[in-house]
Order: sequence, then C-alpha cells, then structure tokens
Amino acid sequence: MNPTLSIFYFLSFLTVLSALMVVFSRSPIHSVLYLILTFFCLTGHYILLNAQFLAAVNIIVYAGAIMVLFLFVIMFLNMKKEDEEAKTNLTKIAAMIVAGTLFVILFGAYRKSIIGAYNPYEYNSQVGMVESLGAVLFRDYLLPFELASVLFLIAMTGAVMLGRREVGERHF
Amino acid sequence: MYPIILLSVLGIVVLFLGFMKSKNILLPATLLFLALALGSNFIDWNQGPLLYFYGMFSVTNLTLAFNAIVLISAFLIVAMTRGFQDDEEAQPAEYYGIMLFSLVGAIMIIGYEHLIIFFVGIEILSVAMYILTGSDKRNLRSNEASLKYFLMGAFATGIMLFGIALLYGATGAFSLTGIRGFVSTAAGAQSYILYAGLLLLLIGMLFKVSAAPFHFWTPDVYDGAPSIFTTFMSTIVKTAGFAAIFRLLSHSFAGIYDFWYITLAVITVLTLFVGNVVAVYQDSFKRMMAYSSISHAGYLLIALTALTAQTERSILFYSMAYSVATISAFGVLMLIAKEKSLDGRPNESYDAFNGLAKQNPLLAFVLTVSMLSLAGIPLTAGFWGKFFVFSSAADRGLIWMLVVAVLMSAVGIYYYFRVVIASYMKEGNTGKIRVAPFYQIVLVAATVITILFGLAPGFFEQLL
Amino acid sequence: MLSDFGTIFLFILAAVALVSMMLGMARLLRPNNPNEEKLSTYESGEEPLGNANVQFNVRFYVVALIFVLFDVELIFLFPWAVVFGNEDLIQQTNGQWGWFALAEMTVFVGILVLGLAYAWAKGYLDWVRPEPKTPHVDSPVPTSLYQQVNEKYKKS
Repeated sequence: MNPTLSIFYFLSFLTVLSALMVVFSRSPIHSVLYLILTFFCLTGHYILLNAQFLAAVNIIVYAGAIMVLFLFVIMFLNMKKEDEEAKTNLTKIAAMIVAGTLFVILFGAYRKSIIGAYNPYEYNSQVGMVESLGAVLFRDYLLPFELASVLFLIAMTGAVMLGRREVGERHF
Repeated sequence: MYPIILLSVLGIVVLFLGFMKSKNILLPATLLFLALALGSNFIDWNQGPLLYFYGMFSVTNLTLAFNAIVLISAFLIVAMTRGFQDDEEAQPAEYYGIMLFSLVGAIMIIGYEHLIIFFVGIEILSVAMYILTGSDKRNLRSNEASLKYFLMGAFATGIMLFGIALLYGATGAFSLTGIRGFVSTAAGAQSYILYAGLLLLLIGMLFKVSAAPFHFWTPDVYDGAPSIFTTFMSTIVKTAGFAAIFRLLSHSFAGIYDFWYITLAVITVLTLFVGNVVAVYQDSFKRMMAYSSISHAGYLLIALTALTAQTERSILFYSMAYSVATISAFGVLMLIAKEKSLDGRPNESYDAFNGLAKQNPLLAFVLTVSMLSLAGIPLTAGFWGKFFVFSSAADRGLIWMLVVAVLMSAVGIYYYFRVVIASYMKEGNTGKIRVAPFYQIVLVAATVITILFGLAPGFFEQLL
Repeated sequence: MLSDFGTIFLFILAAVALVSMMLGMARLLRPNNPNEEKLSTYESGEEPLGNANVQFNVRFYVVALIFVLFDVELIFLFPWAVVFGNEDLIQQTNGQWGWFALAEMTVFVGILVLGLAYAWAKGYLDWVRPEPKTPHVDSPVPTSLYQQVNEKYKKS
C-alpha cells in the first residue's frame, strides 16, 4: 500500500471516530472539542486532495472562529446535568429508521455508480491552489461573491438587532 | 438582474435612513425603492433570454414576471406596515432593510442558472426570514418560532448542500445547462449518485416551500411570527421557492422525469391531504392560514409533477392569485386582531371575526373575496389558478391526482367559509374599525386584482 | 522523498511526542499527594464560589459573530491578493483587470464596512458605559475658596 493511501485510511478512520464521539459524548463541551478534532482531520483530507487554501481556511474559520461561536452558545445555554432531555423510545426508533434509510440509500448509490477516475498525465496539480481559486472566484463567480457580502450584511444586521440590549436587561 | 443590484444598494440606504430623527420617511422611501426595483425589472423585458455574469444568472420574460409578482407582493405588504411607527420596540429601518435584502435572495432563486447562485440566494432569503420571525422580541412565541425555524432551516440547508455536492460529484457541473448535458447522456440517466443528489436537493427545496412531510415547522412559525412577516413568508418565499424548483426540474432534470415524478407525486398527495385536513381542526385563523399555505403548496406541486409546457404559466398565475388573496386576508386579520386584542396580544381566533360585516362591510367584502379566491370559487383569480393547474395535470394524465385534489378543494371550502360565516352570520360586535387610507388602498387593490383576473384570466396571458 | 507536507507532518508528530514526553516525565518524577486545598481552583486567593460554567450574556455573541463575519471576509482577501497582480490577466485585458479586481474587492469590503459602521453607529458595539460620578457635597464653603487656599500655601 502506498503511503498516501495509508494516510488516507488512517485520517478517515480518525475522522469517523471523532465524528462519532461528537454524537456520543455526554458533555456538550467535549462534543465541541471532538468536532474540532474532526475539522482537523478534514483539513488533512484537504491537503491530501491538494487543496491547501481550503485546508488553511478550514483551520482558521471552522476550527478557529466557528468553534468559538459554538462554545459561546454552550455557555449561553447554562446546561445542567439534571435537566437533560429525555427522548422517548419512539423518537429514537424513528430517528434510527430515517438515518438508516438515508445511509442505505447513499451507500447503495455510491456502490452502484461508477465514478470517473482521473487521468494522472492530464491532471493539473495546480487546480486546488489559491491562484486558480482566485482566478475563478473573481471572474466567473463574481456575482455570488459580491452577493455573499449581502448575506454577511444581513446576518450582521439581524444579529445585532436581535442581540440588542433591551431596556432594563441585566448586564453581566 | 437590475433589481438585484438596485435592491442590495437600496437596502443599505434604508438601513442608514434609520439614523434620521424622523421615522416617517422610511415607509415612503421603501415603497419608492420597491417601485424603482420594479421599474428596473422591466429593462430586460422582451430582450429575449439573457445570461448575465458568465452564465450565472438568466433572464427571460417569465422570470421577470415572477420577479414582478414578488416585488408587487412586497410592495403591497410594505404598504401595510404602518404599525411600526407606533411601536416603540419596533426597529422599522432594520425591518425594511432586511425585507429589501430578502427580495434580493428571492430574485436570485427565481433566475439562477448556477447552483451557487441558488444556494446564496436561498441563504439570503432564509436568514432574512429567521430574523423577521424573531423580530417580536418580547413575545415568547415569536422567539420560539424563530429558533425552531432557524434550527430546522439550517438542517434543511445542510441536506440541500449535500445534494448539490453529490450532483457536482456525479455531473462535474454546477450550472443547470451542464447538469442537463450530463443527464441527457446514457450514463447520466443511470447515475445513482445523481439520483441521490437530486432527492436531497429536492428535500431541501421542498422544506423551504413547506411541502409535507417537511412541513412541521410551518404552523408554529407562521403562527408565532408577527402577522406582517407571516404574510411576507407565505407569499414571497413560496412564489420564489416554486419558481426555483420548477427551474431545477424543467431545465436540468426533465430527462429523468420518470425517476422523480413518483417521489413528487407522493409528496404532492401527502401535502394536499395534510394541509387541507388539518386546517379543518384549527381554531385560530392565523394557524388555519398556515395550513392553507401548506395545501396551496400542494396545488402548486401538482403543476410541478405534471411538468407540461404550460406549467410555468400555471405556476405563475397560481402564485399571483394566491399571493394577492393571502395579502388581503392577512391585511384584514391584522386589523381585526389588533382591534380585538386580548391582554395586549392580538386575537387571531375565528371568534374575533364575529359580526364583522355589520359595521365594516368593506373589510368583510375584502375578506370574503380573498377566501373565495383561496377556496377556488369561480369569478375569482384563485379559480383560474386551480383550473390551469388541474388542466396541466389532466394533460399529463394524472387523473388519480386530480381526484384527490378536487376532493381536497372541497374540504378547503369548509374551512375558508368558516370565517366568512363568522363575519356575516354570527352575532358579535367588532366596532367600527378605522382603516388608514394607505391600508385601504392596498386591500382594495388586492381585491380588484383578484376579481379582475377572475373575470378575465386571458388578460394575464396577454400581459406576458 | 518527503514532500513539504511530509515535513509539516513530521513536525506535528515531533510536537506531540515532545509534549507527551515532557508531561510523562514530569508525572514520573513529581511527588503526588493531593489535598483539598491543592485541588481547589485558583481564584487569586479567594474562596472559589459556585461553578465556572455560568450563563453568559448574549451580547458577547454579537461581538463574536461580527468577528466571524470579518474573519470570513479576510479569507476572501487571500485569493484576491494572489490574482490581483496576475500579469497574464492584466495583459489579456489591457490593464483593465487590476481596476476590475480592485473595484470588486472594494464593493465587497465596502458593504461589510457599511454593516460594521451601522452596528457601531447604532451603539450595538458599546458595552455598558461607565458613568463617572463627581462627588458632590452640600457645604456653604465654595470650591473657589479651597482653590485660593491651595494657591496661597503652594510650595514654590
């Protein structure tokens, strides 16, 4: 087995394991920490796919900034051990069925379809680099790029509007 | 194309107009901006199919007509927002700004040619809706609705994104034309990843237009949100959402109709059934309207399932009729709910309408016309909407679906007439409700449109 | 034979190994006899009160969210900076490309800066402002008298 393949399998194993741990951990803070680990593993995958810019972005934005937001949210919720939500068996069974069906469908779809392999002689190794990304993003994807700023603006406006301090609110 | 740019800029302008001392300028300014956007929409009229920004965004007469419906609905809704000035908690500049931005998203998903545009557009639209749903911060139900909508919507967006990713994996293209090119090949028609991607993408889209079984958020969210934003949600999001689904199915996946039509047919029947039957058991008019919007999603889905050459026109006509009737119904509801408020909370039950016709004949008439249109009674726009939808289904030979739809329309008449009966037959005292002139114009205009297109549906065809 | 990322990987491995080695050695070498006092959380000599996991004010979140938005915006600057001066593109477009790219980024950043300006001007970024209180004493002696006394006995 060549080293890249073994790294790939090792990373995939680690990704799946930490993703499972996100779901199974009791404490939400542990979940977030496992999620960070998952993001790091995904970064490894990005590097294997020769997409270095995405790898950096994944670390900076997801593992860095977004996870800080997650931790914030957990701090807001003031979760106590005793008021852990009790799910009924019916919910659990229904969730199992839905998730299982989705898994079977996707697994079957992956197995049955033929994914075109790449040609190593024609493959452009620079395709995931930041230059090619920039060239595509700032020409072909001009409109979505600019409108993404509208999306950010609307999110910002909404957040400050809803998070505004009200008269008579307790300050921490 | 032009309205996107114009509305993005003008939304920021409205946001900053909020800094002025007088809040009275906001409403006329927003209306003016919407009118400008509507005017700029027609710059491209009859220019033929155009592609903008490296094949990202397409403009045809029909997408322009959808834009016009969305913009006119927004205009009518914004004209009804006079209450913001009196409410100290309200932040009108933000509301208007976010509404204008959300229209950017709506127009993007009406005319997208590339799935990235679709995704950014639906995000803009949804984020705006999450915010507007929770804008009544003092109201616990509004907060709950917003959170529920946000969590479920985020999940649906995730599913949709996964679907887009699978589609890209299968076809190697994000553009609708590229996907169509792949679907038309022999390998494409058999690609299971493509099927899985299409299903996941459809689930996300159907969630946004609240088709059963993805409708569970709808009643709570429509009920909890402030009425004015419920109107916005149930008209604009639905119109744009159906335009988007139609675009996806007709432009890219018409080649594998046999694959997705069964799924969509099941969802259609389920939506019709759930929407109409559960609406019967509601005691609150607003909640009934939420279920009614689910049932109308079902009727629109019939047109999508049929997918004939007439489908786009029938969706267009139907969403126009539905939007106008919904706006006038909610307009009357808001007036009455405010007049008869209990403990400072608007009273949205059927009982609030008792005896409406005695002292407010105009309001009762407007309400009746809108209910008739929603129920699909002849001489209203709603009848022709249903007629076009049903005839396109008949063209495709979906007779069993038509039977269900007609039965469900009959159920619909029952709950739409409850409020009409309450306002004409039941004893009660609503008191003389003072209607602001602007508000009155909106209600009358919506009623006139409903009756006009009810009497002469051909007129609409000539407009296109 | 190692690629650049291989070096980085070795680096990470070395870092992990070094840290675990040091911690492990410390664990082996140090004496271990804990008591109540030693195990309590250090809070500047104060007796620790309650749980550290208290409910935060939502307003922290607004600031965090604005940070994330600008973080994402910053990410977009990287590919832009790389292609902004791309000579091929500039030659293909007779020098228009630079201006085009600049305008693009200006619009993008401009919209976000306007959003920030909006949030700032609305006062959403302000924390609870301290309001300094000048102590005020009702006394028949005017303050100017103190001033005079001070002036008079000032050491020159």
